[in-house]
Amino acid sequence: MTDNFQLVWAIIGLPLLGFVLLTLAGSAIEKAIGRRGLSIIAVLPILLSLAISCLLTQKLAGLAVADRIHVVQGAPWLSVMGLNVPFEWSIDPLSMTMCLIITGVGSLIFIYSTGYMNEEREYARFFTYMNLFAAAMLVLVLGNNLPLLFVGWEGVGLCSYLLIGFWYTDLENAKAANKAFIVNRIGDWGLTLGIFTTMVLILGSYQPVADGRILSFDTMQAAIRISSMSHPAWTTAAALLLFIGAAGKSAQFPLYVWLPDAMAGPTPVSALIHAATMVTSGVVLLNRMHYVFEVSQVASAIVCGIGAFTALFAAVVAFGQTDIKKVLAYSTVSQLGYMFIGCGAGAYWAGMFHVVTHAFFKALLFMGAGAVIHAMSHNQDLRNYGNLRKYMPITTATMVIAWLAICAIGIPGVGGFAGFYSKEAILGAALANVDTTVNGLNVAVAAGWIGIVVAALTAAYMTRLMWLTFFGGEERWKQIAGEPEAHESHEMVIVTPTEEVSDPNGFFLATAPHVEEIHEHALSSDHVPKEVPASMWAPLAVLALLSLGGGYVLANHDLLQNWLAPVSQAQYLSGGGEPEGLPLGWISVGAAVLGIAVGILYYRKGLPKSEGFDDSKWSHLRLLARRQFGFDHGLNEAAIDGGGLLANGLWHGVEVHVVDGLVNGIAGIAAILGKDLSQVTKGYVRAYALVMLLGGVAILGIMFLAGAR
Amino acid sequence: MFTVGAVGVVIRRNPVVVFMCIELMLNAVNLTFLTFARYQLVNPTGTDIAAQRSAMAGQMMVIFVMAVAAAEVAVGLGIIMTIFRARHEVDVDDLNLLRG
Repeated sequence: MTDNFQLVWAIIGLPLLGFVLLTLAGSAIEKAIGRRGLSIIAVLPILLSLAISCLLTQKLAGLAVADRIHVVQGAPWLSVMGLNVPFEWSIDPLSMTMCLIITGVGSLIFIYSTGYMNEEREYARFFTYMNLFAAAMLVLVLGNNLPLLFVGWEGVGLCSYLLIGFWYTDLENAKAANKAFIVNRIGDWGLTLGIFTTMVLILGSYQPVADGRILSFDTMQAAIRISSMSHPAWTTAAALLLFIGAAGKSAQFPLYVWLPDAMAGPTPVSALIHAATMVTSGVVLLNRMHYVFEVSQVASAIVCGIGAFTALFAAVVAFGQTDIKKVLAYSTVSQLGYMFIGCGAGAYWAGMFHVVTHAFFKALLFMGAGAVIHAMSHNQDLRNYGNLRKYMPITTATMVIAWLAICAIGIPGVGGFAGFYSKEAILGAALANVDTTVNGLNVAVAAGWIGIVVAALTAAYMTRLMWLTFFGGEERWKQIAGEPEAHESHEMVIVTPTEEVSDPNGFFLATAPHVEEIHEHALSSDHVPKEVPASMWAPLAVLALLSLGGGYVLANHDLLQNWLAPVSQAQYLSGGGEPEGLPLGWISVGAAVLGIAVGILYYRKGLPKSEGFDDSKWSHLRLLARRQFGFDHGLNEAAIDGGGLLANGLWHGVEVHVVDGLVNGIAGIAAILGKDLSQVTKGYVRAYALVMLLGGVAILGIMFLAGAR
Repeated sequence: MFTVGAVGVVIRRNPVVVFMCIELMLNAVNLTFLTFARYQLVNPTGTDIAAQRSAMAGQMMVIFVMAVAAAEVAVGLGIIMTIFRARHEVDVDDLNLLRG
C-alpha cells in the first residue's frame, strides 16, 4: 500500500530529468525537431508530475485522517554522530496541496510560456530554468526534514536569480537579479540559524528520536514541545530566525525590496515564481514549523504585526506605480502580508488557504498582464493602455474574474470568488485571536482591522489597474509619439564594426563582433492590439474558472481546513475561529465594494491629469508612494554608502592601528632587541675567546657545585 | 700548561701565536688523557676488562685530538695566509668585519 507513494520520486525526478535533458541537449533538440517539439519535451515532465500528484493526493485522501502523514524513505544523506538526515519525502496534506499548486498552476504557466516566449532567442534556456525551478520547489515542499527543505529553498532562490536575469544583457535586469539574490541571502542566513537553533532545541530536550532523524518534521515535534517549556527564550529565538527566512523568501517588510524589482524577469516567471509558488514557501515553512511558533506568543505577535504592516505598506505603495507588473508585485507583497497575519494568528490553514486562492488569481492576473504586455508591444506602462476590452475580450473577461477574486467579492452565506473565502478566514482568525497579546495589545486583532482597511485599499488599486487598462474611453497609446519606456523585446543581432580599429602595438581594440540588442517593435500610435493566441488564453480561462469556484469548493464544509488539519492544525492554541457578534463577512465585502466604488468614480474617465506622464502634477503622497516612501532608496544608501563607511572605518581604525600596529609592533620589538644585542658582537676575537673561557669555567664550576651537593 | 695556553689565546694578537697557544691547550688536554689512562691501568677500580677499555678509550681520544688539531692548523694557517695576502697584516684585533 505504501509502495504507491514511491511514485513521489517521479514527481521530483521528472522535472529534474527535463532540466538535465534541456541543459545537455536543449539547443540540439530545438534544431532537430523545432520549437514545437522542444515545447512538448519541456512541458511534458510537469504535466506528468501533475498527473502523479493528483494520483497520490487521491490515494492520500482515501486513507483515514490519522494515517495521512506518510514518509517515503530514501538513501541516507548526512549521518554524523547520531544525527541522521536521509533523503525522505513527506506525503501529507500540506505537501500534496503545494504539489498540486506547483504542478497544476505550473503546467498552465508552462503552456502559457510556450506562447509568450515564442519570439525569444533562448527558448531552450528558459525552459531549462523553469524545469529546474519546478524540481527545486517540489523538493522544498516534499522534503521531510529541514536540510532538504533548505536544499529546495536555495534551489528556488537560484532559479529565481537565473530567471530574473534571463535577459542578462540588460544591466537593469542583472541588477535586479543580484538584488533578489542578495536580499534572499539575508533571509537564508536567518533560516540557517533557525535550523541550527531548532536542532539545539531538539537536542536540549534529551528526547530520544527514532533513527536519529532529529531534523525530520514527523519526529521533531515532541522534542520541541518538551524543550520549549524549559527554554522559552530559545524557542522564541528559533521561531524568529525561521521567520527571518520566511520573510526573505516571502518578501515581507523589510526584506520585500527584491520582489518588485524581480518583475524584470519574463512575465510567466513573475506569475509562477514571484506570485504563485516560490514566494509562498515562507508560508509553507510557517505551516511546517508551526509548533515552534505556537509556543511563543511574542514570535506569533511579530509574525502578525509584520504581516499587517507589510500588507498596508505594499497596498499604499501600489497606488504610486505605473508599471502594470509593479502594481501586481506590490499587490503580491500585500497579499503575502495577509497570509502572515493568518499564520501569526494561529490559523495556519487559513494562511495556506490564501496561498491556494492567491496562486489562482494572482497567477491569472500576472498572465493576463503578460497577455496585455504581449499585445501592446512589450510596453508595460499603465498610462499607455486604456479601453483594451474592445481588442482583447477573453483576456478582459478573465482579468475581471481575477480582479473580483482579489478584491474578495462575495455575498456572505451564499458564495463568492476565491479570495473572499480565504481573506475572510484570515481576518476572522485574526479578530477572534486571543493568543498574541503582548503588553496588553492584542496584535492579531489589530492586524485584523488593518487587514480590513487593506481590503478596501486592495480593491481600490486593483480597480485603478483594471480601469486604466481595460476600461475608460481613452485609447492612450494613440496619443504617444515618442520613445516607449519599457521593453521586453531583446532580440540580439551581431554587430560587426565597420572600421577596424587597431593600436600601434599590434593589439586589436574592440574589433571583435559583438552582440547588441535591438528593440524591434516599439509601441506607437498606430498600434492595434490583438488578442493573444490560444496557448496563452487557454490557461487564463482555466485559472479564471479556479478563481471563480476554487474558493467555494475548498471552503465548503471546511474542506481545506479539515484536509490540512493533520499537519497544520494548531496544537496548543485556540487557532482562531470566528469573532463573535461581528458581521465580518459584510464588513470586509463592504470595504471591498467601497474601494471599488471609489476606484471606478476616480478613474471612470481614464487617466486623471494628476497621474499623467508629467511628474510635477502628481500629488505629493502619490510620489512618495511611488518611491516606496524612500525605503528602498534609503536601504540602498544605508547598505552601500553605510557599508562603504563601515569598511573605511574598519580600514582606518581597526586595520591600520590595531592589526598593522600589532604586526609592526612585534617587528619593532625585535628590531630594538636586535640593535641592542648587536652591541655585544664587537668583532674582537680575543674578547670572544675570553668569554668562551669564562663560560667554560662557569659551567665547570656549576658542575662541581652540583656534584658537591 | 693549559692555563699558559688559555692566557696566551686571550692576550696575544698575532694569530700564529694564538694558534700555538691553542695547540698548547690541546696538548695539555692530551697529556691529561694519557695520564688518566695510565692511572686507570695501574690502579684498576672496576673489572679488568672495563679498566683496559677505559685506558684504550683515553689513548684513542688523544689520537683523535691530534688528528683534529692537525686539520685545524691546516685550515687555520690557510685562512691566515689568505688574510695576509688580502690585508698585508694579521692582527686579530683588526679582524672585526663581523662586528654588529
